[in-house]
Amino acid sequence: MINFIIRRILGAIPLLLFISVVTYAMMALAPGGPAAVLGPRGQGLSPEAIARINAAYGLDKPWYIQYFYWLKQLLLHGSLGTSYVDNRPVIEKVFEKLPITIEMVGLALLLTLIIALPIGIYAGAHRGSFFDNASSAVGFVFYGMPVFWLAIVLIDVFAVQLQWFPSSGLSSLGQENNPLDRLWHLTLPVVAIALVSFVSWMRYQRSSIIEAMSSAYIRTARSKGLSERDVLVRHAFRNALLPIVTLLGLSLPALVGGAYFVEYVFSIPGVGYLTFSSIFARDYPTLMAITMLTAVLIVVGNLLADVAYAMVDPRIRYS
Amino acid sequence: MRTVRRFLRERSAVAGASFVIVLVLAAVIGPFLDAIPPNVIDHALIGFPQPPSAAHWLGTDLIGRDEFIRALYGARVSLLVGASAMLVSFAIGIFYGAIAGAASGAVDNLMMRFVDAMLSFPTFFLLLIVAALTEKFSLSIIILIIGLTSWPGLARLVRAEVLSLRERDFVEAARALGASPLRLVVRHLIPNALAPVVVAAAFAIGDNILAESSLSFFGLGVQPPAPSWGNMLQDALTPQAEAAPWMVLVPGLGIVATVLAFSVIADGIRVALDTSIGQETGDADVEEVGPYNPVPAPAS
Repeated sequence: MINFIIRRILGAIPLLLFISVVTYAMMALAPGGPAAVLGPRGQGLSPEAIARINAAYGLDKPWYIQYFYWLKQLLLHGSLGTSYVDNRPVIEKVFEKLPITIEMVGLALLLTLIIALPIGIYAGAHRGSFFDNASSAVGFVFYGMPVFWLAIVLIDVFAVQLQWFPSSGLSSLGQENNPLDRLWHLTLPVVAIALVSFVSWMRYQRSSIIEAMSSAYIRTARSKGLSERDVLVRHAFRNALLPIVTLLGLSLPALVGGAYFVEYVFSIPGVGYLTFSSIFARDYPTLMAITMLTAVLIVVGNLLADVAYAMVDPRIRYS
Repeated sequence: MRTVRRFLRERSAVAGASFVIVLVLAAVIGPFLDAIPPNVIDHALIGFPQPPSAAHWLGTDLIGRDEFIRALYGARVSLLVGASAMLVSFAIGIFYGAIAGAASGAVDNLMMRFVDAMLSFPTFFLLLIVAALTEKFSLSIIILIIGLTSWPGLARLVRAEVLSLRERDFVEAARALGASPLRLVVRHLIPNALAPVVVAAAFAIGDNILAESSLSFFGLGVQPPAPSWGNMLQDALTPQAEAAPWMVLVPGLGIVATVLAFSVIADGIRVALDTSIGQETGDADVEEVGPYNPVPAPAS
């Protein structure tokens, strides 16, 4: 197991390097840069000033030299550079937003599972029933629903018309440390994420129940005279949860960056919001840091998924 | 013929197909019939969005533009981008997947590693990063952005299909008759891998429409004043639009209904062709399943 983990981490290094080279090259060749960020404010920078700014960021060198400098900074100093916008270290910028996004998406994931698993299990156990067809029809509708539209509709109904929930932000004035107030602010965003993401979890749970129900051990359980309910709850259910454990690991990157739309519409200052503001400001160091963070999380998530899978399922062995 | 008859027996698929046909006709013909350009501003109505009426079927927006006309133009954009981006991604994905599957060995391994790297990113993140690098957002650029970021899933599908096909007797026979590798791929492998690809194509159009409207909503797609369902929703986000729920409903329901229609069409084709691939309707999460992931594909 330890060997397997070490091998996987070593195997991930070329992947991360590859991703960083490609992203770095694309961003270096794209328009924009610190001079362009400062330009509108500085109004008509002289060519000498632009050259000086670019030299300060090392942008007067070819992109592959810049890349090696970027990599050296990362490996030797753990730095990903400073933002073109406010000159702060980008790692600091990203990590101060991270807890907000994790909190929101974590809650959303919890709500998603609470909705999706029971529906998926029931639909799978009663395949072809009215409930099964109805839930898959509802699933189709939510599948095609843009999450930002759902967010706007929720705001219109619950914040503007009914005024039950706030329409944006994380806290009311003077209530910054009140957890209940925060939860109240997070309700609509969390519901919006859960409603569009429960579909895939539900479908997965449904098909994994169906697969479990057709296995030999279910036939055994039935033939020894267990009630259908016992067969479902004690045998099929437990086995059908295995793929969900894996999916949880794979959804780790989404936990961090998967809520761009919702953060944008509800003005929640998380990583998604930072992504958008960096895009519009062409703040490439920050975008690069977010990309690398996402890439690392993907690798870690995949690894966690495999390890968790081996832990809950004794049939899986890695050598 | 048998396939068509089986498709016609799927009631929801027929409903979806009818909707798409009506939408295509309306989007293509509508603007010509009316001859009203989408950006005519009724100055008397600026700041007073009108609810749906006989004069403005689906109401007007904040600066007095007719929502119905704009939605029709938006439908045209969505359908055009959805279908063209699908063609771009399929042109790349089919060839990439077929070549990887036919080549096998080290080449296949390397090619699929690249696909894995691309697939491991959340779909929209990839889209955002690429869109962030562009300066001009013409329709063709948007189509390219969506097409170039959405082919890897298809490449994997086609490769799997080709791998299972290449062991079949007719491929063996063609090889024995001296067919070149290129001929094998183009004449034998691709045509026979087509069934699941057609299903995936219908799903892809819906996904691309969703992608286009998301990009446009964030100002990284179709640029105002040109109408698109996505940027119409952006207009509806302002506080002044709170009194005008039709501004939210018209473009939003347009997107939902169209994507839903393509999903049920895809599902209908799947049933008609009797293939089990492409039946999962999950979102990007399902696509992100990594190379080492032991999760079984959803059974039908």
